Amino acid sequence: MTEVLKFVETLPPEEVARANFYGLLARLFYAPPDAALLEALAGAEEIEAEDGGIGEAWQRLAQAAAAADPEAVREEYENVFVGTGKAAVTLYTSAYTIRYSNEVPLVALRSELAALGLGRREGAAEPEDHIAALCDAMRHFVAEQKRDLHEQARFFSRWIAPAAGPLCNAIAQHAATDFYKPVAGFAKAFLHLEQSAFEML
Amino acid sequence: MTERTKRLSRRNFLLAVGAGGAATAAAIVAKNTGSSQTSDKSKRASRGYHATEHVNNYYRTTKV
Repeated sequence: MTEVLKFVETLPPEEVARANFYGLLARLFYAPPDAALLEALAGAEEIEAEDGGIGEAWQRLAQAAAAADPEAVREEYENVFVGTGKAAVTLYTSAYTIRYSNEVPLVALRSELAALGLGRREGAAEPEDHIAALCDAMRHFVAEQKRDLHEQARFFSRWIAPAAGPLCNAIAQHAATDFYKPVAGFAKAFLHLEQSAFEML
Repeated sequence: MTERTKRLSRRNFLLAVGAGGAATAAAIVAKNTGSSQTSDKSKRASRGYHATEHVNNYYRTTKV
């Protein structure tokens, strides 16, 4: 635990928060939360916010976590995001952004990640355009590499911003989602906040 | 606007709209890092395709 927190010590609190929210979203989108994570979410303190959006979304997520059964959430995750054959809702961002079949965003993303010193962990089967991978990349840029905000903004606006809205809406609107509705709601509020903050640069 | 005031306004904006919940988010991420490692194996086993005993048996029957 101390090891996790050590590298963010010198960062201002709002940057620590950003990194941690990206980490949390990466975790929730990578795999269904286990009982310990649900419990932690349920007991989370409120986010103080002048503007209601993210504070309310966070509270709804905490309430959903308190009421959730880990086994049911695992089933929901596999049913909606994994499935047999085509997933009901895909977590791969390219699916929301490709307009022409000859576009190869994954190749461009891979080379951009490599230029930023990141790559797929050995043994990871998911392609890099998975929303969890992109959130984890952002966490790295903020907390570990402490990259310039303009560099963060460039990556965010190219790879996350175009897909964030459609992806979160698809999750929120799907009939088979329950726990992941408030997850998508919080993701949308947080990523929208990020976008607005990047626009102030 | 100078670089400094721009940075300050972005900071105030983030704190005002709520990304200031550093302690809250940190506690959750830290807790989750510890717990997710123990469940890593079972999680991996349940993701995507994996050959079960049944599938292996099926493959055996198709071999000539």
